[in-house]
Amino acid sequence: MKIFIAMIALLFAIPAYAVDGTAFLKQVDRNLNPESYESYRKLINVEPDGRKKEYTLFTVKKGVDKVASVFLAPASEKGRSTLRLGDNMWFYIPNVGKPIRITSLQSVVGGVFNNADILQLDYAAEYNVEKMERNGNEYLLYLKAKTKTVAYDRLKLHAEGKKQLPVKIECLTEANMLIKTIYFKDVKDFGGGIVRPSVIETDSPLYKGYKSVMIFAKVKAKDFKDEAFTLTFMPNLESLR
Amino acid sequence: MVVVILIFLLSSFLGVPPVAIAEEYTFDVSEIEKKPYHIGGYAELRPALSGLDKDASLYKLRFYNRDEGSTLEEYNAALRLEGSLEKGIARLFVRTNTDYKNSYLGEDIKTTVYEGFLSLKPSSSLTIDIGKKTLKWGKGYAWNPVAFVDRPKDPDEPEQNLEGFIVASVDYIKSFQGPLKTVSFTPVLVPVYEHVNDSFGRIDHVNVAARIYALYYDTDIDFMLLVGGSKPARYGVDFSRNITTNFEIHGEFAFIKDYEKKIMGGGGDLVEKEYDTASYLAGIRYLTEKDTTYIIEYYKNGTGFTETEMTDYLSFIDNGYNAYVISGSDTLLKKALNVTSGNYGKPNPARNYVYLRASRKDPFDILYFTPSITWICNVDDRSFSLSPEFLYTGIKNLDLRLRTSVLRGAKSSEYGQKQNDYKVELRARYYF
Repeated sequence: MKIFIAMIALLFAIPAYAVDGTAFLKQVDRNLNPESYESYRKLINVEPDGRKKEYTLFTVKKGVDKVASVFLAPASEKGRSTLRLGDNMWFYIPNVGKPIRITSLQSVVGGVFNNADILQLDYAAEYNVEKMERNGNEYLLYLKAKTKTVAYDRLKLHAEGKKQLPVKIECLTEANMLIKTIYFKDVKDFGGGIVRPSVIETDSPLYKGYKSVMIFAKVKAKDFKDEAFTLTFMPNLESLR
Repeated sequence: MVVVILIFLLSSFLGVPPVAIAEEYTFDVSEIEKKPYHIGGYAELRPALSGLDKDASLYKLRFYNRDEGSTLEEYNAALRLEGSLEKGIARLFVRTNTDYKNSYLGEDIKTTVYEGFLSLKPSSSLTIDIGKKTLKWGKGYAWNPVAFVDRPKDPDEPEQNLEGFIVASVDYIKSFQGPLKTVSFTPVLVPVYEHVNDSFGRIDHVNVAARIYALYYDTDIDFMLLVGGSKPARYGVDFSRNITTNFEIHGEFAFIKDYEKKIMGGGGDLVEKEYDTASYLAGIRYLTEKDTTYIIEYYKNGTGFTETEMTDYLSFIDNGYNAYVISGSDTLLKKALNVTSGNYGKPNPARNYVYLRASRKDPFDILYFTPSITWICNVDDRSFSLSPEFLYTGIKNLDLRLRTSVLRGAKSSEYGQKQNDYKVELRARYYF
């Protein structure tokens, strides 16, 4: 009988965790970015011998499923833009002239960051919280992708409890194989109440010795019209700056 | 291996020493300050070596009165300049291309304005463009049968910029909630007069083209048309959709009314044929776990020549060449030359083609190195071109590409009768 009661209690306890976890995850999302915002990012791919390649992007996001970026540098990439609407992703190369569909697992910049990392939506939009554990001031959220089209099937999100910001995210396959680890560093006040990590680093056991870094600047809440997040508007994304 | 050594030597020569990994990363805000103008582009060097096929019909057509040996060297260079100026809702954009060629025909240099237009953007929903521009409709990678207002692209270089036409166009975009996420409408006016778009089609017509685009249930769908008299009227539809995170499908369909075609019979008689036809394309893009991308497309070219029509044309060249050898008269060969340009001489003039491209990103742990192989096959006569390629983009603003093309096919087949047996080309492109 005791076992039965304990099992019933456990069944109720898991959804309770999930509700708390979901609210926590949504807060992590909001602390990382306003729901609609613009930002500048520098992406640096670092090779094992120390060689680096840098890209500068201007990024805009609206709501839970719209994000677009345009490359500002280097000259060879300038004007290239990416658009994500939910699970749909496109890449526009001025030379080619028309947007082509790309997939979340590809990378338009090479290196360890893939397209899903570069065009990141809210975590709560793509993942359900399966379990949340607390260890002192650190929380560990076990996230499971809502659909098969999400780039990583599982995430282990380590967050700092007081600021409710991520510290580290382990990206895993369905079989729990580690694909990459993302580290959040250097919390900075961007103004307008936005206090978040300004540097994101990633490495991967699949790319031993390689590292990719994303540095944020000028993160600012801003609203955009829905029409700015369309294929037809992709060649004009820079006009939003 | 040679390529890897070459790349290593080049990167060393160009002074790209390994940089110690700094744990402190900086992002200077002055780097991202917006300027009202932009000037950029690239400079390119492209030496090439071609192996000639002296038995091929197209070799005979071009080289009947000259002997250039068994190989041809070409030294090509290009300068692409782009500039833009922005003020308020207006933006002026110009893109020019200067090609330099030093070949068996001597030196040649040509500058073309590829695009030059004024763009007015009163809101993010509305853009008005006036001037010379490319529209690039369609979802296909190698071919675009629905690109009604563009010059045909070269499937060997599908990512190359093309010269545009002088147009006036409007883009109106509307977004929605629900399964229909986006609709855009693009009407286009294409005037064709002497010295204005006269390569587009018959002169003294103002043509109307239009496209409606929709993102519906995660599928891109376009409907387009072109009417007006310079070209036979045509109507088209295309689509593109991601099935999974690594698998995309796309297709295009174009119906052309009263298409006119000049056909050369084996006896040299030129016949004009008019018929309704359809061209279409179906393709996929698939990314494997090992980061290899496959692009496969099938193209049905309803405006193309049948196998018999191609054979008649090639036989006529052979007969013309034999007549030249016997009598010294090149009348027949000149007649064949006249129907080659813009007709039989177009890229992929036949009816049925398959395109396959496989490219692998960063193999052997070499970042920014992309080897690929492209196979274009004329399904009707089984002739093909096979092009292995090595691309390295690891040096800032410099692309290095080594590409070889081998052409194979039976006698009287499309690729078997091209003037080259093979071509090797090195391209160094520096962006600024």
